[in-house]
Amino acid sequence: MSNSVNISVETTCENQIREIAYDGTELYQAPPTLSESLAKCAARIDFSKTSLDDLKKEEKSAAAATEDDKDANQFQESLWPWDAVRNKLKDAYTEICVLSDVISIAKDKRYLVLDPLLEDGDDTKPIVQVYSRKKAISQAAQVLLSGAERLRNAHSEQRSRNVSDFHIELLRLRQNWRLKKVSNGAIIGDLSYRTAGSKFGMSGTFEVTKAEEALDDDGAGNSANASSGASNSSTNNGMQLKASSALRVIVPAELQGVAYIKVITQKDQEDLCTAQVNLMGHGPNITAQVGVWQKTLEFAQNVLFCKELFAQLAREAIQLQAPIPHVVIGNQIRATLLPNIQLIISLCHSTSFDSSQPAPINDHDHVLEHSLHQLLREVHFKNSHHPFPHPASAPLGPSKKRMIAGPTAADREALLDMTKTQTILEQIIAQAQHIFMRKRTQYVLDTLARDVKDPQIVSHWNAMNSPTMSCVKINIVTHGYDAIGRTSLVIHVKERSLKCICRDGRVMRLSYEPQELRDLILCQINSHQISCLVSLARYMAWTVLSNSNHLGIGKVEPLGNASSCLLGSPNSDRMIAVQIRCDPQIDVKVYIARSPRPDFFPSPLVPEKFWENLGGNFKEVRFDKIEGKSFLNKMEFLMASLTSNTA
Amino acid sequence: MREKKDKEATDSLSLALKNRFLPNLEYLLQGSILDTAVEHLMHRLKGLCDNVDTSPETFHDLEVCMSLRQPNSPQPLLLLRVRRALGRDAPFQLRYLGQPEVDMRRPTLVRSCMDCACTNGILDFLSEMGFRLEFEYIAKGYMFRKGRMKITVSKLIKIVPGKQQDMANEPISQSYIVELSVVAPTGQENVGEEMRVFAEQLKPLVQLEKIDYKRLTNIP
Repeated sequence: MSNSVNISVETTCENQIREIAYDGTELYQAPPTLSESLAKCAARIDFSKTSLDDLKKEEKSAAAATEDDKDANQFQESLWPWDAVRNKLKDAYTEICVLSDVISIAKDKRYLVLDPLLEDGDDTKPIVQVYSRKKAISQAAQVLLSGAERLRNAHSEQRSRNVSDFHIELLRLRQNWRLKKVSNGAIIGDLSYRTAGSKFGMSGTFEVTKAEEALDDDGAGNSANASSGASNSSTNNGMQLKASSALRVIVPAELQGVAYIKVITQKDQEDLCTAQVNLMGHGPNITAQVGVWQKTLEFAQNVLFCKELFAQLAREAIQLQAPIPHVVIGNQIRATLLPNIQLIISLCHSTSFDSSQPAPINDHDHVLEHSLHQLLREVHFKNSHHPFPHPASAPLGPSKKRMIAGPTAADREALLDMTKTQTILEQIIAQAQHIFMRKRTQYVLDTLARDVKDPQIVSHWNAMNSPTMSCVKINIVTHGYDAIGRTSLVIHVKERSLKCICRDGRVMRLSYEPQELRDLILCQINSHQISCLVSLARYMAWTVLSNSNHLGIGKVEPLGNASSCLLGSPNSDRMIAVQIRCDPQIDVKVYIARSPRPDFFPSPLVPEKFWENLGGNFKEVRFDKIEGKSFLNKMEFLMASLTSNTA
Repeated sequence: MREKKDKEATDSLSLALKNRFLPNLEYLLQGSILDTAVEHLMHRLKGLCDNVDTSPETFHDLEVCMSLRQPNSPQPLLLLRVRRALGRDAPFQLRYLGQPEVDMRRPTLVRSCMDCACTNGILDFLSEMGFRLEFEYIAKGYMFRKGRMKITVSKLIKIVPGKQQDMANEPISQSYIVELSVVAPTGQENVGEEMRVFAEQLKPLVQLEKIDYKRLTNIP
């Protein structure tokens, strides 16, 4: 029996009852004093325990002789409790004296010689020994057999009834949840995140009990009903499962039910982006292996999680000093992201399980949901994982940055920076703003790409981005003229602003207004067209007389303006002037002029032909009537036709 | 004139030391465990302490104790400890430890303390001020934390002068020193009790006790 159990046996602490009165009161005997109990113990010592039986007999015969004398002594013996002990010790003393005398005589070897006694053999017969052993062994076998039989019975019963054992269930529960046994025998579990670093005050304790028989019967009845009835809905299935579990968990009332946190970004009552946060459906589903209580506990833990997250957010919403203050009403937090756009975080907690689930949201933002989870977990992690100091004598607590602040002579500003941390709500707002900015930018770029066919706008979004920053590269090219020129720019999408980096190194910061981005892209298209035209003209041997990206006419924008260029034909008799404006839309105007007119008639004012080289009148070309697919294509045709005319 | 100034400075220093001008108190319990049993203690600590899901934090520090003495006075006026982490980029730590409190009712040793992170010029600076080397040793071992309690299990290693540092690894004894300490502001009385309860949980392995330093110094 390797796993035997130690049992400690103690006397009952109660005193003996001396008397019971008629009214039932019990009179206890006073406990013996120390000296009394010592005397009692001493009297209990068995002095006569000796192997030499014959010696005792001898003593007895001697005692019989002196019995008459002792009678008088025994009368006194009861008066003095130590008398018996004294007598026995005295006897022992006498014996010892005799023994010592005998030994001293025997040492001399003159009067007395000690010889070993002849042992007479064991008189028990072997056949008796065999019988007794056989009997003992058969009794032990009986005990073992009956034990085995009982185990087998229990096992087969369990298998036949298919009822899960409470203790097995408890073992499984223990593998997944924190349990402890409290003094009165109840088992209490803890489903809070406190061990993971949470400092949320709400208790997450639950109680584990054995499922009662009545409940079992009820469940069985229900399941019978369910099987007899045609409907076999999931709720009935649930009941059936419940009946088979021998273990019941009792979750506090405030943790019952289903909870989730709904995050909505709203623009004038129109939902733009929503996310639902809860823990359900995360992690491996082990309900099938363990029991229904797993589901109950998971639900409860989820409620706790949602409540903690919401409490944290609400606290931060009140503390934060935002330009437009955040509003916390009941189970709802409202924060303004951008003008007219609101972020609404609400805690939904319904206690009834079968309440109709809200309609599934089509536009569920998984990224926002994930970041909400991550943010709270991060807070938990930071609560429990502090860095260890080095060297070991350094104080526990300050971060590594704080530790080197002294030796590196950090200034006040640096120290203040260390104390600043972004709260969860701030981070969520930043992320939501970013998501919104990204969507807006995407929308602007996509509509422009759709509307503006010439040139083509190609945007490449970076696949890797942070929750509050993403990056897009925009290429502007003309189909068929890719080799001539390409304008590219990079836009960093941040929380409330955009940063554009152009090819020429200009950096522009745009606000959250989509119009600004639109204007910028249009201006970029302008300059793209002109710069491509300039290179195209060079290929065709035309000379570029002038070009300007900022004409300064019309609405003057900080980002760009109308652009133009003036081209001269190879033999300088013709000029093309191009102006592209982008005020509301892209508008191209092309003019041509021929300086020495082919037909020259001298007049009194212009007597010689060379005066004609000064330049002529510009005539507008109806550009939309020119053959060609794109602006550059049309310009190519135009230049080609003007060149050939001169030849 | 100069002597008078010196006298004033020493007076004000000793006055400051006597009057407990430091706001922080260190609560300390110490014990030791044999090398052969330290593995068991580590297991126990892993079970008791906070987030030890990863391997326990190790440290390897050199501690130098510097003293400022007055001429013709046997007792040093001021002892300062400089500690640095070997093989790690961390600032030096300068530490002042006050005299232990005499209150016998407290469950732990209590002394005022002051920690300060310094650059590596601190030793030169102290020598310039007149501090002289008292002793030095290397402490190497493991560190745990439980709430605000810090538990170190360290091996003290003697420094043999004139030898290469790595070669001169000569432990002072065949045991590890176990220290349980909390640095807390003055007026937090329950720290000692908290530490006593924790020390109780390490009981059969290591006996963490309040060490009376005055008795130790009397031993010849």
